[in-house]
Amino acid sequence: MSDWKIKPARDLGLPTAERLRSHGREAGLVGGLLQGGWRRLVRLYMAVMHRFAVTGREHLPPPPFVIVANHASHLDALAVGAALRGPAARRAHALAAGDTFFTSTPMAAFAAYAINALPVWRRRTRPKDLATLRARLEEDGLVFILFPEGTRSRDGAMAAFQPGLGAFVAGSPVPVVPCWLEGAHAAWPPQRRWPRPGRLHLHIGPPLSFAETPQDRAGWTQVAAQCEAAVRALEPRR
Amino acid sequence: MRGWDIAFGHPVTQGLVAATIGILLLAAAVIGALTVTGRASPALRRELWLRLASWAVLLPLIMAPILLGREWVIAAVTLLGLACLREYDRATGLFREHWLVAVVVLGILAVNFAALDHWYGFFVALWPLTVTVIAVASIPLDRPAGYIQRTALAIFAYMLFGAGLAHLGYMANDPNYRPLLLLLVLAVGLNDVAAFTSGKLIGGRKLLPATSPNKTLSGALGALVCTTLLVAYVAGLIFEGTPMDSTWKLLALGALVSIGGQAGDLMLSSIKRDIGIKDMGVLLPGHGGILDRFNSLLLVAPATFHLIQFYIGWGLDAPTRILTGGP
Repeated sequence: MSDWKIKPARDLGLPTAERLRSHGREAGLVGGLLQGGWRRLVRLYMAVMHRFAVTGREHLPPPPFVIVANHASHLDALAVGAALRGPAARRAHALAAGDTFFTSTPMAAFAAYAINALPVWRRRTRPKDLATLRARLEEDGLVFILFPEGTRSRDGAMAAFQPGLGAFVAGSPVPVVPCWLEGAHAAWPPQRRWPRPGRLHLHIGPPLSFAETPQDRAGWTQVAAQCEAAVRALEPRR
Repeated sequence: MRGWDIAFGHPVTQGLVAATIGILLLAAAVIGALTVTGRASPALRRELWLRLASWAVLLPLIMAPILLGREWVIAAVTLLGLACLREYDRATGLFREHWLVAVVVLGILAVNFAALDHWYGFFVALWPLTVTVIAVASIPLDRPAGYIQRTALAIFAYMLFGAGLAHLGYMANDPNYRPLLLLLVLAVGLNDVAAFTSGKLIGGRKLLPATSPNKTLSGALGALVCTTLLVAYVAGLIFEGTPMDSTWKLLALGALVSIGGQAGDLMLSSIKRDIGIKDMGVLLPGHGGILDRFNSLLLVAPATFHLIQFYIGWGLDAPTRILTGGP
């Protein structure tokens, strides 16, 4: 016999607008159907417009895990999400800039119901929010898609990783999967309004574990440095 | 003006609609007087205004479908069932079981379809059929841990928001359903108000303090007396000359409304206490969620339906299997 507890939705009792932005947001039947439909559309778009290819899918562990990748365009989170299958795809949350994706309610509804994004507020993420996200990652068996550069690259070259990533994984059994997305800058550079067709290729590397890394500033920096090196190592030689 | 005559054809319908408007105005006057004389605390006054405003929006929404006709009632009951399910499944965690929720949603749609079709056989058959599908729905997941609990949560949901609530819609198959259905929805509301008022006026022993700390024994008994007498009186006008037209049967109907209403309220309190939450939702200011308002109807609907079914029957002269056209 297993212990069994009634577990209300983490976002129970929040008004709609707050619910969309809540880190405890959990989708029900309707949300799940909408997200499922959106995932299929994105996969179709990726296949048709970007001849999307994935190598190294065998490196993906069962959830929970964190995916980190280089960030060159708004296609990145969609492409990484489209590479996932099964429970990992259903439980994947892109961590998206709150000030871009969660300011207006219609945009927040789209980010929540379609992309299944969770907001991070640049420079104003509170320790409590980080703790919630870290706890959910492990307890709910989620997948976080993260771009630790903090913003899209303007010229396609990858910038240094911010240490905030360490908050989720330092001292935790949750592994980090490094990825390199090739072709995103060419397909949709930040200067363009809309994307253009162009090949996208996702290279997935073997997972890294930070279970022994201390959960402090030095540990975070170490996590960021190791992840950055692992992502860079996946960049194909020209 | 044929439509108007159908909607308001029965004198009891006219009386109940007039009484509802009258009571809302009277309540506004009383709260207004409390506000002007400063007799009640600002917090209480705010609470009272909020509740009244919610009622003023809710009552027309509840009464309009009943006056408009059969299809409207069934559509409203379907939406109500789905809205209740949503609150319930998020509060209990059942919402994580997408397959089970999908089966309960289909069950709610099917049982309301049976009511719309006026097909009593299918209407009652859906109880065992839906429970059967719920029982097997999560087996293919190959996740036996928690099987009993999630299956039980889903069956409970279907019983309350599908099979039980759909009786309200089925009643509308009777050409003379309007006065009785109005009486039921108004009486359960009044039952709550009577319990609240007599509890405040008389006070005394708590009813079930661990379940619902604010309810008193005097409130429960006061509501039982008021609602039973009122329902028996009005139902006497509706059932004049029918086999229900006996003092004992009418008093039994009234008592069933009051006891069923209070039991539904306490049932929801038990659910909330068990989960550890105060309200089921935030939709209705002053009330909480949909379930916080409609809990009293959940048990009253099937109970009163079958009492009247036993003595008279529902819509026996109305055409049956309107959409499926079977025997």
